[in-house]
Amino acid sequence: MSRRQYANWGYYIPYGLWIGLFVIAPVGLIIYQSFLNLNHHFTLANYETYFKSGTYLMMTVNSLWWAFLITVFTLLISYPAAYYIHQLKHRQLWLLLTILPTWINLLLKAYAFIGIFSQSGVVNQFLGLFGIAPQQILFTNFSFVFVATYIQIPFMILPIYNSIDDVSDSYINASRDLGATSWQTFSKVIWPLTLPGVKAGVQSVFIPSLSLFMLTRLIGGNKVITLGTAIEEHFLTTMNWGMGSTIGVVLIIAMVIIMMLTGDRQADGGRVR
Amino acid sequence: MTKRIHWSNLYLILVFIVLYAPIIFLVVYSFNSGTTMDHFNGFTLSHYGELFADTRLIAIVLQTLLIALLSALISTIIGTLGTLWIQQTSRPFFKNTLLSLNNILIVSPDVIIGASFLIFFTTLSIPLGFTSVLLSHIAFSIPIVVLMVLPRLKELNSSMLDAAADLGANQAQILREVIIPFITPGIFSGFFMALTYSLDDFAVTFFVTGNGFTTLSVEIYSRARQGISLEINALSGLLFVLTLGLILGYYFVSQSHQRRMLKRKRGVAK
Amino acid sequence: MTEPIIRLKNIHKRYGDTEVLKGINIELEEGKFYTLLGPSGCGKTTILRIIAGFTDATEGDVLFDGQRINDLPANKRKVNTVFQDYALFPHMNVNENVAFGLRMQNQLSKAEIKTRVQDALASVQLQGYGERAISELSGGQQQRVAIARAIVLKPRMLLLDEPLSALDAKLRRDMQYELRDLQQSLGITFLFVTHDQEEALAMSDDIFVMNTGLVLQSGTPVDIYDEPINHFVADFIGESNILSGTMIKDYEVEFVGKQFECADAGMKPNEPVEVVLRPEDLDITTPEQGKLTVTIDSQLFRGDYHEIVAYDEDQNEWLIHSTNPAVAGQKVGLTFEPYDIHVMRLHESEEEFDARLEKYEDGEEAHT
Repeated sequence: MSRRQYANWGYYIPYGLWIGLFVIAPVGLIIYQSFLNLNHHFTLANYETYFKSGTYLMMTVNSLWWAFLITVFTLLISYPAAYYIHQLKHRQLWLLLTILPTWINLLLKAYAFIGIFSQSGVVNQFLGLFGIAPQQILFTNFSFVFVATYIQIPFMILPIYNSIDDVSDSYINASRDLGATSWQTFSKVIWPLTLPGVKAGVQSVFIPSLSLFMLTRLIGGNKVITLGTAIEEHFLTTMNWGMGSTIGVVLIIAMVIIMMLTGDRQADGGRVR
Repeated sequence: MTKRIHWSNLYLILVFIVLYAPIIFLVVYSFNSGTTMDHFNGFTLSHYGELFADTRLIAIVLQTLLIALLSALISTIIGTLGTLWIQQTSRPFFKNTLLSLNNILIVSPDVIIGASFLIFFTTLSIPLGFTSVLLSHIAFSIPIVVLMVLPRLKELNSSMLDAAADLGANQAQILREVIIPFITPGIFSGFFMALTYSLDDFAVTFFVTGNGFTTLSVEIYSRARQGISLEINALSGLLFVLTLGLILGYYFVSQSHQRRMLKRKRGVAK
Repeated sequence: MTEPIIRLKNIHKRYGDTEVLKGINIELEEGKFYTLLGPSGCGKTTILRIIAGFTDATEGDVLFDGQRINDLPANKRKVNTVFQDYALFPHMNVNENVAFGLRMQNQLSKAEIKTRVQDALASVQLQGYGERAISELSGGQQQRVAIARAIVLKPRMLLLDEPLSALDAKLRRDMQYELRDLQQSLGITFLFVTHDQEEALAMSDDIFVMNTGLVLQSGTPVDIYDEPINHFVADFIGESNILSGTMIKDYEVEFVGKQFECADAGMKPNEPVEVVLRPEDLDITTPEQGKLTVTIDSQLFRGDYHEIVAYDEDQNEWLIHSTNPAVAGQKVGLTFEPYDIHVMRLHESEEEFDARLEKYEDGEEAHT
């Protein structure tokens, strides 16, 4: 094919500028900043602090652990849901209903749980019916994981649904025709073929779960400190941008590792951010 | 078989109850005459009254809408042009590099985007406020637009472009008469996605907003940290209706577009 | 001879290390129906794309009316293309598709465009379809729109890239007649690309048979069918029995261990050759009257004839087309006329072949 040009090069300048200024420059700046101390002098102290003090390492491990839990719970709930939705008659409508809650502002949903989980809230009133005394639910690790899972479910269902939708019925018929049971058909045909969707879902849940600082503040009551919480604190409260950037670099590295583990899939469908 | 379907329906009903319960809960308590979300004391519209009397909040809603519309519009234009660039790039290495750079902001956690933009704006001495928030929203919406437009552009056969050239169209005519009309559905969904991302964003805005300027998400966050206020519930009720309206509107537009196509077909068939 | 409308001079096309065209020399005259015929991957579509201007020749010249047009972009060339997948614009209706090229010129009035679109649609029997969407047309109708869209610009030459390959057999036959009629009524040059030899034989004034980036033979359908230059052409055009043999002397050839009178000459004595016998030229008779004796193996009824497979004593396979059925296992005789035998020299180029043919045909005339 001959070289085809859609438009004058001039039209591409804004996009090129965007890549330079808002993609490359910020990443470069955050790495650069991570080597600066409070007085803007070059230093390795931030990394030294990070690796030497147990608190930062513990916080990182904890953050990864919470994100892992959230991802696992989300997956356990979402896979069957996506699978069953795909069997429904008006599946497009139900899929839309699944996505609809994501259009409600995340903070409003978090706010709802403040009411639901409070000392005298609906859940405790319900437990009271069985004679159980009011429990502290809000500001616990449980409430953080629960709300985070709740928020992430649609983002897991969508890519899994899409990958199930991509599996042609004839594969399933062929499998049944060749004598496989329903379970064998699922485990040997459907699951491997929908694995890309699962990977996409894991990617789009795990990475944001590392940085849900607003949930740790509103729901976790500062008991759960994720990488995101730490970055927010260093940037906006203690104004130690150097240390914040160092944790940011750690988060970027964690993100790159996750991306590599879940394959070099093209980002498509669903939110990933 | 029937039994399995039965259980699966039960499971789905449970999932959907969990998905919608908090939202319905919020909306129901917006009519509570009490002041908490614990007990429903009686029906009232007073919280909606408070909401409409709250000029500060209304101003914030308008600011948020302005940011969303402006950023969606600008990012759609830049993103669409960027998509053309990516698609016309023939060398695989360069194309993959462009795509990877494009996707960085999509996979990056919000806090990283927020923090790095904050450093960026401070370095360039761009004042934090309307400008920085608008620029940030444009920046994180561009790759989303690209991802919505690119599949559509890929569907455009190269033989279609050959045909246009064969029929005498020059580069500008091909762009205007063939490419843009063909990818218009992708451009629209890109715009729509950019709009919702902008309206929904909290974390990035929280970092780059500074003191004077605030958007709805940031405002809700600071109010929620102070505790329950049923005015927020009233706000959720309104936003829920607005969101539903927006989605229905979007569907209506795409449906009526299809209907018009159908009508045109039928008109000829007679 | 008139000046050819298109002349390709020593065209080469390479993609990296692979050479898809290895020196193409073609001349196309005004007002004729040409076909590029060959298996997929032989480079025929590449030639079309080079003439249309969608791709550049790596080497060689493309001349239009004697002018070199290698560097002229596609939108400035006075040739138009009918694409294999039609490439109709899905967001435009039939009228808008056909009017596209006229609108691009920015110099015609709306009324003028309308008349020309109507005329073009009429010439492909699509009056009244103007307002329809492309998606609601059948494959055959889309095909016609694609043709109308190309001819509305009154090109000097129309390029057709396997335009009939997506149609079913019946429709394809109808379209063959229509395309032929259209070409004659428009009086412009058609260059048609196909891998279907029947299509090529039925429609063309001249055929170029191609394989692996080379034109192997060009000529009228009858010439190519009756006088294939080599094994590939004989095999690709129609069905044939191809046997190796020896040219004993002029007008006498030996194959399957027997000597036969033939109509070919101009070769060296005892030169190894290949012999082609078309299945429809073989007649079944009694073993006594036959020039050859074979045993019937199997047969298929093809509608207008029976396709019979038989083997001789040396286990050579013989393909016979006969209007009458045969009996499997039966020993029969085969007869054919001397002019049914076509002798091919090994590795003979088209020029050598033409020169030899001319020479001995002249000799024949002098002889009689």
